[in-house]
Amino acid sequence: MRFVWSTALKDWQRHRRDPVGLLMWIGIPILIGSLIIMASGGRGGVEPKVQLLVADVDDSFVSNALVAAMGQMGGLIETEPVTREDGQKIMDDGKASALLVIPEGFGLAFLEEKPTTLELLTNPSQQILPGIAEETLSILVDASFYAQRLVGEDLQSFAQGPSGGANTFPDTDIMQFSSKVNRIVDNVSNYLSPMIIALEKEPVVEPEDDDDDDINISLLFLPSILFMSLLFMAQGIALDLWTEKDQMTLRRVVTTPQNTVRFLSGKLLGGAGVMAMVCSITLIIGYAYFDLRLASLPLAILWSTLSGVLLMNLMMVIQVHAASRRGAGILTTAILFPLMMVGGSFFPFEAMPPWMVTFGKLTPNGWALSQLKLILFDDMTLTGLGKAFTGLVLVVAVLFAATARRLRSGFAQG
Amino acid sequence: MIHVEELQKQFGDLTAVGGVSFEARPGSIFGLLGPNGAGKSTTINCISGLLKPSAGRVSVMGHDVATDGPASRRQLGVVPQELALYEDLSARENLGYWGAAYGMRGDRLKRRIKEVLELTGLQDRAKEAVKNFSGGMKRRLNFACGIVHEPKALLLDEPTVGVDPQTRVRLLELVRSETDNGACVLYTTHYMEEAEAICDDLAIIDHGLIIAAGTLKELRAMMGERDLLRLTGTFEPNQVMEGIARLEDAELVQAEADTLTLSLANASARLSTVFQILNDAGSDIRETTLTQPSLESLFIKLTGKELRE
Repeated sequence: MRFVWSTALKDWQRHRRDPVGLLMWIGIPILIGSLIIMASGGRGGVEPKVQLLVADVDDSFVSNALVAAMGQMGGLIETEPVTREDGQKIMDDGKASALLVIPEGFGLAFLEEKPTTLELLTNPSQQILPGIAEETLSILVDASFYAQRLVGEDLQSFAQGPSGGANTFPDTDIMQFSSKVNRIVDNVSNYLSPMIIALEKEPVVEPEDDDDDDINISLLFLPSILFMSLLFMAQGIALDLWTEKDQMTLRRVVTTPQNTVRFLSGKLLGGAGVMAMVCSITLIIGYAYFDLRLASLPLAILWSTLSGVLLMNLMMVIQVHAASRRGAGILTTAILFPLMMVGGSFFPFEAMPPWMVTFGKLTPNGWALSQLKLILFDDMTLTGLGKAFTGLVLVVAVLFAATARRLRSGFAQG
Repeated sequence: MIHVEELQKQFGDLTAVGGVSFEARPGSIFGLLGPNGAGKSTTINCISGLLKPSAGRVSVMGHDVATDGPASRRQLGVVPQELALYEDLSARENLGYWGAAYGMRGDRLKRRIKEVLELTGLQDRAKEAVKNFSGGMKRRLNFACGIVHEPKALLLDEPTVGVDPQTRVRLLELVRSETDNGACVLYTTHYMEEAEAICDDLAIIDHGLIIAAGTLKELRAMMGERDLLRLTGTFEPNQVMEGIARLEDAELVQAEADTLTLSLANASARLSTVFQILNDAGSDIRETTLTQPSLESLFIKLTGKELRE
């Protein structure tokens, strides 16, 4: 065990003598993270919202209800009442996502079940936000259709206003209407449910992450950037086996009473120490910046470091089976970048197509990264944590055994 | 003591070492001489545990290398031909790491590092990164790393290859100081003069086999007092053999169309006679080399070729 420790210490000393390399390992994720945060507006920046201009020419009970419903879509749509002319001017300047024009007579036509048209002008310079407005409006129109089918008569009476010159409707009318709506919804829920399900089936990148609504886009890059850094570090530290071989120190180790397993353990410990430092710095900054719950920080550091050890083992297995240092470098680089891209270590899974996400989560870094996100966002269960750690330790053990075997059976001697 | 008995090492169909036996005694230097590719390094690697012997038995200080590897390696210090150092660490850090690899620690390790640094003359540069050292200093540190744990047996694999004369002298002094302290040293080289200067016992190895062994005195006796006369030119081997047969106390070592090697006593005084015989045999001599009795001439006598070929 003492030799394991002295090997780790020796590697730490060597890393310390190479401040540029160390700085790059720490600096790259922070630099990329800062650039992405700046590019996306940062934590305090403006959240992306649909700027919907509404020219309500009709100004009826129904049109007002439709506009109010649009404004209550989880804060995603910000409505602004405008005249048609003003709205058109703002749209021409490209300063809004869409302009909704509610024509005169819309409310009446709706209540009398006559055909009517809503006009939606979208901003061609924006790709996503106008689409959201269009989709939301489509849902509301469908909902209105069903409401008309079920409570059309009551709506008509409400549209005509309170009887007897009163300013408000009597409480009894309101209660009767509410009870009726409740009863109808209960009766037709079986028929409505399929539609609700159909709506929920709209492509969502991370269906299981319901809390993502609260997550800043920049925050999604934090684990990705950390894993990008871990992959680079894993490759660099693994390549050190070839450095040890080329400078003959690995051969010298074989001539000592120590065995290659202890030597390899020491190298892993040394690498893990450096990774723990980088993970700690990155995560502490990330936690502070994004106001994450500090209780999960130690676990996040531990998991990230162990994930780094897993990646380091993976790279080492590849390196020691290569025929030359150059070959090892080419091989690991050829594997590194696809792993990074697919495994969510460059772009977050949330920005990737679902099929790629499914595949990416099967990669070692992708799997470990998705577990880290569960820890970061407090979604990790104790059972899940146990399974994740067991899986990680098992894979590390298998990869370690394969590397140690290769070291013994020729890599060190050759 | 390093005991090697019928050691064999094969790489596929190639026999690198084909049954080598010798014994290196404590307090003495055993030289293993041979040209490049003769099997010296393979033998050393089998002793140090880098290679697993195909057959035979090797023991270091009574510990069998095959069955008691860690114990045998604990007694052994290895100074490889190539530098095996961490260039980004200091001399002291290198020595500390290799000392720890042999289980040394604490005050004992610190004391030994200080001793070894003084012994190798590196105490003033102890804290400096090895990458700033000269080639000679690196060689000395490479040696120091091999002896930091005070080994009872030391393997030196051509430690003076490519070093300047001053460093070579210094390294040879260091090797001798180790034997003075009772260590058993196995020294491989292809420099005959170096072997003659430092080794107590010698074995000449070629093509994986020991072709001569003994003390320096014994090996010299194998040559007798004969000089070695090497001639190049154009020769008729059969006629030459007939002519040389008439020459008293002479032996034809090698006779080829372009090379002739003779072993004969007092060769310098008999050169005119030799030339006359060869001239009569229709030879055309272009170059003549006379070598007095030495390991080099013994090697040529035994193998028909020069050591550096």
